[in-house]
Amino acid sequence: MVFFFNIQDVPDRFDFTLPVLSDIAGMGGGAGLQEARAMHVGRPLSERRTDMYSFCNPGEFQSSPFLSTRGNIANLFRGSTEEGYKAYHADKYDEDKNPNGIINFGTSENKLCFDLMSKRLTQSDMNLMEPPLLQYPDWKGHMFLREEVARFLTYYCKAPAPLKAENVIVLNGCGSLFSALATVLCDPGEAVLIATPFYGGITQSLFLYGNVKLVYAYLDSKITGTSTRPFQLTVDKLEKALQDARSESVGVKALILLNPQNPLGDIYSLSELRDYLEFAKRHELHVIVDEIYMLSVFDESATFHSVLGMDRLPDPQRTHVMWGISKDFAVSGIRFGTLYTENQDVANAVASLCYFHGVCGPVQHKVAQLLRDRDWINQVYLRANHARLKAAHTYVTDELKTLGVPFLNRNAGFFVWIDFRKYLRTGTFEEEMLLWRRFLDNKVLLSCGKAFECSEPGWFRIIFADKTHRLQLGVWHFLPFYITQSCLQLWPPHSLLKLPSIPGLLCFS
Amino acid sequence: MQGPAASGKPKAGQETARGGPHLRAPWAGAATLRTGGGSSGRGGVSLSASRPERRRLCYSLHPLSRLRQGRGGRRMSSGSACSEGRAAALSARGSRIAGGARGLLDKGFDLYIADPFDRDRNPRGILNLGTSENKLCYDLIQERLTRPDMNYLQPHLLQYSDTQGIESFREEIAKFLTEYAKAPKALNPEHIVIMSGCCAVFATLSTVLCDPGDGYLIPTPYYGGINSKTWLYGGIQPVHVPLFSEVTDEESHPFQLTVEKLEAALQRAKEQGIRVRALILINPHNPLGDIYPAQLLKECLEFAHRYQLHVIIDEIYMLSVYDDTTFTSVLSLDCLPDPERTHFMWGFSKDFGMCGIRVGVLYTRSHEIRKAVNKLAVFHGCPGPVQYVLTQFLSDRDWLDNVYFPTNKKRLREAQNILVDGLVKIGIPVLKSSGGLYVWADFRKFLKSQTFEAEMELWWKFLDEKLLISPGKAFCCYEPGWFRMVFSDSVDKIYLGIQRLEQMLQTKTAKPVANKTSAVEDELSNSEDETSVNHSNTPLDEISEAYSDMKKIVVY
Repeated sequence: MVFFFNIQDVPDRFDFTLPVLSDIAGMGGGAGLQEARAMHVGRPLSERRTDMYSFCNPGEFQSSPFLSTRGNIANLFRGSTEEGYKAYHADKYDEDKNPNGIINFGTSENKLCFDLMSKRLTQSDMNLMEPPLLQYPDWKGHMFLREEVARFLTYYCKAPAPLKAENVIVLNGCGSLFSALATVLCDPGEAVLIATPFYGGITQSLFLYGNVKLVYAYLDSKITGTSTRPFQLTVDKLEKALQDARSESVGVKALILLNPQNPLGDIYSLSELRDYLEFAKRHELHVIVDEIYMLSVFDESATFHSVLGMDRLPDPQRTHVMWGISKDFAVSGIRFGTLYTENQDVANAVASLCYFHGVCGPVQHKVAQLLRDRDWINQVYLRANHARLKAAHTYVTDELKTLGVPFLNRNAGFFVWIDFRKYLRTGTFEEEMLLWRRFLDNKVLLSCGKAFECSEPGWFRIIFADKTHRLQLGVWHFLPFYITQSCLQLWPPHSLLKLPSIPGLLCFS
Repeated sequence: MQGPAASGKPKAGQETARGGPHLRAPWAGAATLRTGGGSSGRGGVSLSASRPERRRLCYSLHPLSRLRQGRGGRRMSSGSACSEGRAAALSARGSRIAGGARGLLDKGFDLYIADPFDRDRNPRGILNLGTSENKLCYDLIQERLTRPDMNYLQPHLLQYSDTQGIESFREEIAKFLTEYAKAPKALNPEHIVIMSGCCAVFATLSTVLCDPGDGYLIPTPYYGGINSKTWLYGGIQPVHVPLFSEVTDEESHPFQLTVEKLEAALQRAKEQGIRVRALILINPHNPLGDIYPAQLLKECLEFAHRYQLHVIIDEIYMLSVYDDTTFTSVLSLDCLPDPERTHFMWGFSKDFGMCGIRVGVLYTRSHEIRKAVNKLAVFHGCPGPVQYVLTQFLSDRDWLDNVYFPTNKKRLREAQNILVDGLVKIGIPVLKSSGGLYVWADFRKFLKSQTFEAEMELWWKFLDEKLLISPGKAFCCYEPGWFRMVFSDSVDKIYLGIQRLEQMLQTKTAKPVANKTSAVEDELSNSEDETSVNHSNTPLDEISEAYSDMKKIVVY
């Protein structure tokens, strides 16, 4: 077996020894083994380091004798968030115990609703331990839960006809689901199309077990022709990325759509969705639609359209929808994700992998109880959650406005996509990384655009779904200080980039 | 499927567990599975059965595909991967995964799920003595897990946590294992990785220790689920070390593992070009129910060290030892020959009757291996609240030592006695066992011929009587006629199981089996099974000899 590796040119390939790999891995923040797992097709060779996906002799970069080749590669693999997360864990902010610790604005978690969720999850109906819950399950999930998920999705996705429990599979999180889907839809070395910037964790979910890579459709902030908003996804861009990949004989099997989009916070309109799905159908691509932030649309002015709510799917057998409770119910520690697919072959193949991604019986009971409690969800939880998300979002964006930092003003998810380009000197990813590190040195963890494979250096994602009292503690008042401090430590202010204001972006400087 | 040494006949082995025609590793696409174990008596291995007989025992097996077309076809939903029109939906790897994952144990379980026995609602449903679950202590577990101290949440339990497992949980497990596995010094919580079940531990280890197509040594019979758990993501293949029931001079009991047998299997694999990376041992053994003596365990570890093989020791039944035999955990050994290549796994499923609570534990000293496993552990996360509950559970030593373990051991012993007594009464020999939730029973004399077809036929007859037990083939046993029967269920179900067994054997067996030899002779001479080769050449006195050997070891 040879391992599929992307390396740009021959000398590189032969020099591909451990130190080089470590160096690449050490890029942190999002670089990781970038070269091993993505295909920068459609870019001029000068701009891409790595597009000769060659077969390399695994012996060439065996580093630990205890590990297999792929074990070594997994070992060297750096997830997009790993470096920051590690630093954060070593020096966590705590109001009492570690007031000078790192404040985490990097991990996409909703920390606004613990009071509501802990109360609901400890009610008397939750702590059930009947023998069937302690026994081996149906690996697709207990039927009572799959039925509940089907009812829940029918209601909240506004499905035209009741969704069926037999099309539901539950497993321990959406990362696992990406891994399982990639493994059964693609063969090793094949690829999946995705628009950048995107949630970087998908890369490792596809690559580590499946050895499946991503092909990027690059979006940028410029507004031209068919793009009427920054980072707008268009079918043209998808077509181009697909053609580029195919012209280089890369087998693309699927398209991933994130809706609401992470990190942009965009929501796709019905007609956009239809266009993307029609595009996929034309090219016989599977579409994996990740709707994990479905119920985290916090402003009434925005309407979310689930693909499950569409009257007619262009290619229902190739449309696979995923959702989980981590984000929308603010419980990322309860590992629960679900797949809805009408394709029984895909369902059965994924179910074969569910041995490895099972959900605890008692947790299945809890999730079913939670999803069943429509009154509480509608009257109590969603109202409070949306109000809190909105307040936190307003708070953060007001601060950004005061700072004169442009950002995308959206109404979904837990994050704001911020334009820090004017704080870079020449506008390179190296500078972006330096700025990111400076923020970290100053005890603020953000996510830089590179972690989302953004094609423009200088964008950052900030998470706002944290308790306002923590935000008000002064972090935000110090942010200008952090930024100035960080920049001044790096380069003199007069050397910063001067950017024209971008139409469609909120610019308050 | 067939290695060069396979004599051109279908063999017992992976084929059964992988569902027949899908023979390529799911991951590699390139690797073809070959059977490492054979029956050749190389390397000084001395077997009492004649070569022809052994060949017959090992090779005469229908692929499942044939079974489906025949008897099985109408009952089992087709295991073939895809219907024609939708076949394009999956990748080649996906089709192999969909089609090849489910072994016989899974298929039996599916049948049971479709028609489960229930005393009131479905008294004629299938009685499941096939799935290895401890159902004897739900009263205790339920009571403990629903006490007020369990229903508690902290913010961090609902947030993303350390993918290796929450630190306080790992600390509690380290303490627990130090005490119960009798570790010479305190185990290090940093050496522990928590995952969603032991299946996940197998998947991660097979992925980071082996490359697609690599092999691992494993003595047969063994828990057949390991095939799919190491193959689905890992794409690696078992290299069988076949063990037989005949007792020879060097061996003290049936199905005895020896280092010579490991050596022979390793050599055969090398000759076939399979790179062997690991040895998997299950202790207490599944399905045999016996325990590796400390000396044998050490010998195996030294053997592995000589060849730089990783050793994965599955001790999932560690605390389900119900007699006075001394169990030696690998964690209790003072100095391991190769500590960096020795990996221990355990889980809550069996010892605490919590198969539905998916938590498995890996203990490995190698930093590099843990690091690689941790990258994959993100896909095998356990809920924070569950980790909290189990931390509380393990820390209640008073309850574990004075209530749970004594009661569980007593109930296991009683249940085992009832099943064994019942089997003995109807003339079924059972291997002496000390641990686990099952016994390994010898139904060879009820086979129409000493073939795996006959074994499957008997299995279907049991199912006709609504009794699910697990045939030896599901454990890649090289001798047809052995079945694993689970006893860790309520007394009335065990009695009912024995009753159904008795009924079936009385009605379906043409003659009462007073004299084993003549019965076997009779069945053999009537056999019309053409795929079973050489059976008519087998000297009957050898079979009868084998049976009289058996008498020494069975529980009567």
